[in-house]
Amino acid sequence: MWLYFLKRMALAIAIIAIAVALMFLMIRAVPGDPAAILLGPRSTPEMRALLHEQMGLDKPLVVQIITFFGGLLHGNLGFDVFSQRPVADIVLEQLPFTIELILVSILWAVVVAVPLGCYSAVRRNSFVDQVAGVLAVATIAIPSFVMAVYALLIFAVTLRWLPAIGAGNGFWDGLIHLILPGFAIGVGWVGYISRLVRASMLEILGENHIRMARSFGISEWRIVARYALPLAILPTVTILGVGIAWLLSSAVFIEVVFARPGIGALIVNAVNTRNYPIVMGVVLVTTLLIVTATTLSDLINAFLDPRTREKL
Amino acid sequence: MNNIVGSVSRRTLLKTGAALGGGIIAAGMPLSQTIWAAEGKVLKARAFRELLTLDPGFYGGVADVDVMNCIYSKLTHFKPGTEWGWDLEAAEKIEPVDPTHIRFRLKKGIKFTGGYGELTAKDVKFSFERIIKHKSPVATEWGPLDHVELEDDYTGVIVFKTPFAPAWLISLPYGVGHIVSEDAVMKATGDGSSFGVKPPAFSGPYVIAEWKANEHLLLTRNPDWSGPKPGFDEIRILPIGDEKAAERAYQAGDIDFTRISLDSLASLKTNPPADTTVEEHASLSYTWLGMNLDHPKLKDINVRKAVQWAINVPQILDAAYAGQATVATGLIAPGLVGHRDKALVPPEGDLAKAKEFLEKAGVSDLTLTLDCLNDSTKSTIAQVIQAQLSQIGITVDVKVQDSGSFWTIGSEADGDRWKDMQLIIIEYTMLPDPYYATSSFVSEQVGVWNWQRFSSKHFDELNEKALALDDPSERAKLYREMQDLMEESGAYRFLTHGGTPVMYRTTQIQAATRPDGVPLYLEFKPV
Repeated sequence: MWLYFLKRMALAIAIIAIAVALMFLMIRAVPGDPAAILLGPRSTPEMRALLHEQMGLDKPLVVQIITFFGGLLHGNLGFDVFSQRPVADIVLEQLPFTIELILVSILWAVVVAVPLGCYSAVRRNSFVDQVAGVLAVATIAIPSFVMAVYALLIFAVTLRWLPAIGAGNGFWDGLIHLILPGFAIGVGWVGYISRLVRASMLEILGENHIRMARSFGISEWRIVARYALPLAILPTVTILGVGIAWLLSSAVFIEVVFARPGIGALIVNAVNTRNYPIVMGVVLVTTLLIVTATTLSDLINAFLDPRTREKL
Repeated sequence: MNNIVGSVSRRTLLKTGAALGGGIIAAGMPLSQTIWAAEGKVLKARAFRELLTLDPGFYGGVADVDVMNCIYSKLTHFKPGTEWGWDLEAAEKIEPVDPTHIRFRLKKGIKFTGGYGELTAKDVKFSFERIIKHKSPVATEWGPLDHVELEDDYTGVIVFKTPFAPAWLISLPYGVGHIVSEDAVMKATGDGSSFGVKPPAFSGPYVIAEWKANEHLLLTRNPDWSGPKPGFDEIRILPIGDEKAAERAYQAGDIDFTRISLDSLASLKTNPPADTTVEEHASLSYTWLGMNLDHPKLKDINVRKAVQWAINVPQILDAAYAGQATVATGLIAPGLVGHRDKALVPPEGDLAKAKEFLEKAGVSDLTLTLDCLNDSTKSTIAQVIQAQLSQIGITVDVKVQDSGSFWTIGSEADGDRWKDMQLIIIEYTMLPDPYYATSSFVSEQVGVWNWQRFSSKHFDELNEKALALDDPSERAKLYREMQDLMEESGAYRFLTHGGTPVMYRTTQIQAATRPDGVPLYLEFKPV
């Protein structure tokens, strides 16, 4: 297990380094001058030259990339040119909002979808199973931002039950502000996870050790909860790890629709204005987030199923 | 370690995971201790983007200045209403001495917070001169400012190298006119350069109680403020970038004042939310179709005239602005000195006349490129122009560009792309003085921001002359003539100033805006 862990960590570091380096090169390959965008149409060539100097853009590309990675080793992601604030501070103060949105979305999806998937598998082809199947496909097909707009119009604008924008203040207010955006992102996952759990549960329920348990007279729900579910949940754990990237892209739209703070809203603005230090900061953090999630899901899988440890 | 791993069962791991997930969510919550004041009058408004900086000497845009108006003093401020004008603010008196000198006398008793003492002429001098000294991106708004002379603690003279009439509506009542404390800024920065988003001292009726990036900005009354008290105890400004999201937030009651999109204007006018006033304001910005005078395909003025006359502006506005924007007659928006009542080419154009010009040029099978930004409005304008020019046999190849690429097309300092540029759709922002627009089209701006490469000695002379005139009607004549010259060159087809409609809840506030719809929060009154 330890060897597997070390290999997996080395791979994660390599992935982060490659992703960040690629992004660094890609944003500089785009034609146009970031200083012209940041300073606007009224800027003079002298002002743009000064900004180039401040952002280090006047130096050769190799020097820029070495400076960036050198700073990274010291935890320095640079400074935002306008606000004069450290990029790390700007990114880290937005990160919790995105993480809480993703976690709430996925948590409520798992809480609803796993029992639903189990029920559908146990009561295969029942009315509930069929309705759940239809709803699952429907919710997967509807993009989260469409769901967000309609949820907002119904529950915030028309009924005024829930707040329309922002992240709230304090724990409970924050939680209330998470209901609509969390619902919008999570609803597609309910359908997806419930179908996934149902399919793998059906497979597990047909295996020999389950038949053996039944022959011992163990109740069906105990078999499902104790013997089948821990195995049937494995594909879901894997999917959730990979799904972080998908959730992050959903969060970008949702943060715009609900005017929520978060790294999605931050990167949209930073990319539009070619604010290189912020773009790099966000890319680094999102890459870390995705690599951490996939690594964690691999480690959990390896823990739950020792056979996977040999596959790296 | 193996023992620890070995003692954790799969079931324990799953349980721990669930508990950790819940814990992380709770820990990640914005556990702000801020309690929104339950009492007092509160103004809830929307900013269309997040703050870039709170340093007036280096401000990034109107969203920054809206806040600066509340937290700093300046010599004069804009009057609310439908006509452009200014009133005294920190100045007790301000008057021109001659075309290059403006004398001001400060009111006594305006205090900086943080124990930085009274606002004096020394702070005015520091605030204005640092903008030039540190080559601020907004230094052009002080034009030919040379220095500020001090006469006593409260009196000073602003000295320009050459006459600068726009100082009254561009420099003094807007962004670069705000006054900061010399002692506080020097202490915070060491050299007087930008202090970013952390003001070292306030001098306006409000102070920043809390700022959470991308969440909200909370302004509360400045306890040291001795001037007239504005109507609200608190101002909460929420950054909402998306216009539609802002409209939904308004409808849900989260904000009481917002700018609205032109797409929504018609429906909100006919069916406004309860207790709401919708106001239409023309924006100051100007959008036009430009032609590169130095490109071989556009050298012949008859080709350029053909393009001008083939374009039907109302058709473009119907498609790109939902029919809610008005036709521009030139660079200068209605209400500003130098606005023209009508353009030389009528808004609808004339296809027959356009074809005549093209025949006169002896051109057939003409293909032109048209560069535009990649936003939906500019792309739609480009598509309509493409269709309109096809009616006179000109094929248009639309090149939609990302902003980084777009804003350097015509710049000689950024390569040779200006040589290939043919047609282009451009929008420039504007401040409330015609100088701000015309100064981009003088000869020395060719290849900088004058991408049409329009060069007229007479235009340049008129631009210089207008800077020295105080009489608005005399200035207006010159600026109208300058726009005529631009249009006669065939290099410009003016399209629109767009619009900045706003809506507000009449049961909560009585709003006050500049003629272009920009809010003046200090003038807002509670209902």
